[in-house]
Amino acid sequence: MKRLNKQKLMQYAIVLFVAVTLNFMLPRVMPGNPLALIAGVDVGLLTPEQRAQIIEDVGLNRPILVQYVDYWRSIVTGDFGISYRSDRPIVDLISERLPWTLLITGGALLFSATVGIVTGAWSAWRRGKKSDLSMLTGMIALQSLPSFWLGMLLISIFSVQLGVLPSFGAVAPAADFTGGAYFVDVIKHAALPMLTLSVLSVPGVYLTMRYSMLEVLGEDFIRTARAKGASEMRVLFGHVARNAIAPVVTFLAIRFAFSFGGSVIIETVFSYPGLGRLVFDAVSGRDYPVMQAAFLVFTAAVLLANLVADLLYPILDPRTRSH
Amino acid sequence: MVERTKRRRRVLLPQRLGQLGGVIVGSMILVAILAPWLSPYDPAERVGRPFSSPSAEHLLGTNDVGQDLLSELIYGTRVSLTVGIIAAAVALLIGTSIGILAGYYPKRLGAFLMRGVDVVLILPFLPLLIVLAAYLGRSLTNTILVIGVLIWAAPARIIRSQVISLRSREYVMASQSMGAPDRWVILRHILPRTALLATGSFVRAVSGAILLEAALSFLGLGDPIQKSWGSILFWAQSRGAFLTPAWKWWVLPPGLAIMLASLGFALIAFAVEERINPKL
Repeated sequence: MKRLNKQKLMQYAIVLFVAVTLNFMLPRVMPGNPLALIAGVDVGLLTPEQRAQIIEDVGLNRPILVQYVDYWRSIVTGDFGISYRSDRPIVDLISERLPWTLLITGGALLFSATVGIVTGAWSAWRRGKKSDLSMLTGMIALQSLPSFWLGMLLISIFSVQLGVLPSFGAVAPAADFTGGAYFVDVIKHAALPMLTLSVLSVPGVYLTMRYSMLEVLGEDFIRTARAKGASEMRVLFGHVARNAIAPVVTFLAIRFAFSFGGSVIIETVFSYPGLGRLVFDAVSGRDYPVMQAAFLVFTAAVLLANLVADLLYPILDPRTRSH
Repeated sequence: MVERTKRRRRVLLPQRLGQLGGVIVGSMILVAILAPWLSPYDPAERVGRPFSSPSAEHLLGTNDVGQDLLSELIYGTRVSLTVGIIAAAVALLIGTSIGILAGYYPKRLGAFLMRGVDVVLILPFLPLLIVLAAYLGRSLTNTILVIGVLIWAAPARIIRSQVISLRSREYVMASQSMGAPDRWVILRHILPRTALLATGSFVRAVSGAILLEAALSFLGLGDPIQKSWGSILFWAQSRGAFLTPAWKWWVLPPGLAIMLASLGFALIAFAVEERINPKL
């Protein structure tokens, strides 16, 4: 693999540092009882022994710098502590939720990438025609669609009016499907959240693709391809789209991480048992340690997505390869 | 001939859309100002039977505690627009200051500031918004602050690149070589020429901030007293309104309002951006 840009790696390190430090600082500087904000417990309901135990656990009785170093140590070793509300290790909570979120965000990514790239290429090819401009206007309008509202409407239509798709959860409760039936059940439950996330991502992919296509269309080698008599289809897909794809892939990688964050809203609407729903429950139940751990997972996802984009770019756009 | 009509369309479209956006935004602002005269009831009063369907007295029915949904919708315009506009203004203030400083002193200070901008742009946006809002507590001021301090980075980057190009213009250099202090050059020559760009960024930020406010309120992190469109949908969601016929009058209108408001500003932003840098 090509060596990564040093400056970028440095930048990602800074982001990680800022995220962890924010996590550490926020509950300690915000108004309110730091014990309640760090541990996420109702301080008034605790016995003095429990209280002392939790203070000892989170280290509130130690100097602030020692606490900070300890915080880093626990994060590096993958120990996010326990959720006092549910009395379970946070790592377990997150790892059982993560696959569901990956399923819907991954599915939405594939779907929106296909639709966005095809429509974007088509629109740029027909630049200035009525169909291009009305599609562009439509996509701008889609960008203003509130995601949770779209989700609620989809439930009203597909689950309530038509009754064809389930409105909540990831699998039918107490159905005990196996094999193919289980697979179908999972897909049925994921369909609406996936569709909602996709509709949200399509305009961005479309706009990136369209703009990138327009840049490529103006270049000399396109005229050369036409001049040597290549068919329109071959010019469109073989030359223009092929060379316009790199910025779109970068966009997709970053969009993937963004949809990860957006899952907090989508999974709340569909009561989908992923990471996002975990965050929502943690926020409304004041289970702060879970909320904080999830924030770090989201940060890690964003950084990974950026790294993937950095690695893919030179492969897709040979012009940026250094020899 | 064909080329010419295509070009004409391309020039006209942003203008038309911008005008449409202006009409939408203008009428929404009117509704917000005239809310006390337009709305049939006090949105906080329990004026009907809970869960009523639309009727002559309550055009959009009532919610779970018997408040008039139409009045909530009309008053919600105030909350959503106020949060959107002030949060965007906060973001623009931070973004312009940092953008100008980073562009005018591009070496050390600029590099340092742009590092910060990149960090803010990479951090997972929505989760951070939620974490901050959860710790700060639910109030209108906090919502505005949280949104404002998270969306300034994109405007800062745009304004910085403009300032960098302005900095090497002859009149700026002339002014500098005659010994004008930096403060004077910035206020006299740089700031006025970033105005159009800043306007575009501001309107774009309002459009985004309206959606973010709606999302936060929908998650139950909005001001509990002054209900926005997002809060109406939060209650509709927690009372399961979208599973009953009530979705047509409880869920549909606030969502449409959010979309219209955000779209109105987005269309204006599109027209302004097209004017600065045509991409059609």
